[in-house]
Amino acid sequence: MRKQFTILVCKILKFVGGLIGKGSSLPGQIALKIYPDILGSIQLPKYIVAVTGSNGKTSTVEMIAHTLCESGKKVVWNKEGSNQIEGVTTLILSNSTLSGKVKCDILLIESDERFAKYTFKYITPTHYVITNLYRDQLTRNGHPQWVYNAIKDSIHPETQLILNADDPLVSCFGYKKENITWFGVGDIPTDTKDFDGVYNDGAYCPICKAPMTYSSYHYDHIGMYECANCGHKRNDTEYTVTDADLEKGEITINDKYKITLSLKSLYNVYNILAAFTVASIVGVDNDEICKHLSNYVLKNFRVVTFTLGNRKGTLVTSKHENSISYNQSLKLAASDKECDVLIIVDAVSRKYFTSDVSWLWDINFDVLKSENVRNVVLAGTYCNDLATRFSYSQVQKEKIKVIESIEDAVNFLDNDSKDKIYVITCFSDKGKFLDKVKVD
Amino acid sequence: MKLLHLYHDIMNLYGEYANVSALERIISNSGENVEIDRISLGDTADLQAYDFIYIGSGTEDNQKLVLEDFAKYKDSIAEYINSNKPALFTGNSFEMLGKTIIDCNGKEYEGLGIFDFKVVEQNKRRVTADIVYTADFLNKPVVGFVNKCSEINGIDSHLFQVKYGIGDSKDSTNEGIRSNSFFGTHVTGPILIKNPHLLLYIAQLISNNTRDFAVSTEHLQRENSAYEVTLRELNKRYAQ
Repeated sequence: MRKQFTILVCKILKFVGGLIGKGSSLPGQIALKIYPDILGSIQLPKYIVAVTGSNGKTSTVEMIAHTLCESGKKVVWNKEGSNQIEGVTTLILSNSTLSGKVKCDILLIESDERFAKYTFKYITPTHYVITNLYRDQLTRNGHPQWVYNAIKDSIHPETQLILNADDPLVSCFGYKKENITWFGVGDIPTDTKDFDGVYNDGAYCPICKAPMTYSSYHYDHIGMYECANCGHKRNDTEYTVTDADLEKGEITINDKYKITLSLKSLYNVYNILAAFTVASIVGVDNDEICKHLSNYVLKNFRVVTFTLGNRKGTLVTSKHENSISYNQSLKLAASDKECDVLIIVDAVSRKYFTSDVSWLWDINFDVLKSENVRNVVLAGTYCNDLATRFSYSQVQKEKIKVIESIEDAVNFLDNDSKDKIYVITCFSDKGKFLDKVKVD
Repeated sequence: MKLLHLYHDIMNLYGEYANVSALERIISNSGENVEIDRISLGDTADLQAYDFIYIGSGTEDNQKLVLEDFAKYKDSIAEYINSNKPALFTGNSFEMLGKTIIDCNGKEYEGLGIFDFKVVEQNKRRVTADIVYTADFLNKPVVGFVNKCSEINGIDSHLFQVKYGIGDSKDSTNEGIRSNSFFGTHVTGPILIKNPHLLLYIAQLISNNTRDFAVSTEHLQRENSAYEVTLRELNKRYAQ
């Protein structure tokens, strides 16, 4: 009776919350108060796929859900992105019958990396994707090793791990373990022999702490690493991007399966690869997966195209406080044909207050010295911090314009230039820009 | 002018290398030649040959690894500090100079014993905050952030007083340690970029202790504006 009652309460609260536009974590929070062990008493489907990591969770989960749904499978997933235990509880209970059965083929859960151990106390995922571990939200999170330890506590021995082989820290989850599904990127044209970031979190082996060597880097410390001391190295992968032409926007998985990219960034390639891997494991035909992932445009609004006067532009949402995510967005802009780049730091975070901009110093802004980049406009409350950071970069001084007001920055860019505009900013600030242009 | 950045590739969380870059720029803008040595685990340096020493923060594991290596400098770092030469250790790097560090499993590590404080770590909760601190030697507060999992007790010569944020331990109103021209603080990140007045103070110490050059401040307009904005935002927030 208590179970039925709790499920009913959760469903009603979810329904009411939906009507008044309230968040999706409160119903679960209340359900857990009424019946703390409720998740343990729910009958879950055959496949429970969890996704965690510093970056790419939401995009990966969205692409998995899209592919599986298009292939005719019934998927329950947290599309609102409520990825802590309360949100996951809401998701499961509101999709459950009153007798406590979740009716779907696959339960797909994006989980916050720091709180996964609470979420997966009562739910044992059948498959667990770990995307990457980067410096992230440093005024709230611990460093990557700290987050690693938190995720480690969330892993059940019977769960099939699906790991990014190219991330040396993520790979530790599979150290000396059999039966891991590894995914990764092979040799591709954009690889570099030398490290080109500002800091190298792959300098020392995460297992034994001896200096680590790389035969090549895909980006930052993601690449082909090997520790001569303990043997920790990039594993051979079962799902591999065997070719990637980012200029053309096409990748090949396992020498055979071609996918065209709507977003030509290596970051996106990893998310697609993870989605491909999961869809393939749960039984979707590989050719069909390619069809659904090709040209797929994410609906999570992380990339928005817009028109400003006569000019076309793309806004790329990059988490503030996450330098590796930022680097990818900068590379995307710098690798395009002639463009202006607008960087906005007006509020550091959307969800909580911080005034810290230390993360700017971990970002490799030097990529904007590329000839393709004509003007670099720095805007927002923290434009002076940006200007200081740029004064220590190799970006040519004459390119840089510091314009505190976002409106003035938009007016500056509203001209007859034929060049594209890239806007790089965070969730907290993107609306302040998109308000002033026409979103396509 | 010689600056030493110790353990630059392993004690390097959150853009801390920029503390050394800021000193390099201000000294060189003041007309002095600057040479920076960046060395790490397994290297050896003659500390007395330097005019300034910096170490940044690292993960708890890396700090223990560095501590083992750093022990070889026990006598020379004591001599360096006693001779009133300037050094800045940020984040958990200055913890190495105390008596002991007890990790989250209860294991005790012996520090260099230059100071009498003791450090205790836990692994339950990351202690983080934006901070505003004051110091008796500065006419403006210091801004920054702290990200740690340890408490420190037994410091008798404090560097900062806590205006907003967190101190050495729960309920402590003090933060960090000052001894002669040695500065140890848990403030993480590029504190000398974000606080141009602190940069100036340390550059002045380097100048007084060595060649008595006149420190140039002309290039710091953006830094000063950025500092004022951050101080304003933090005051506004914490006053709520």
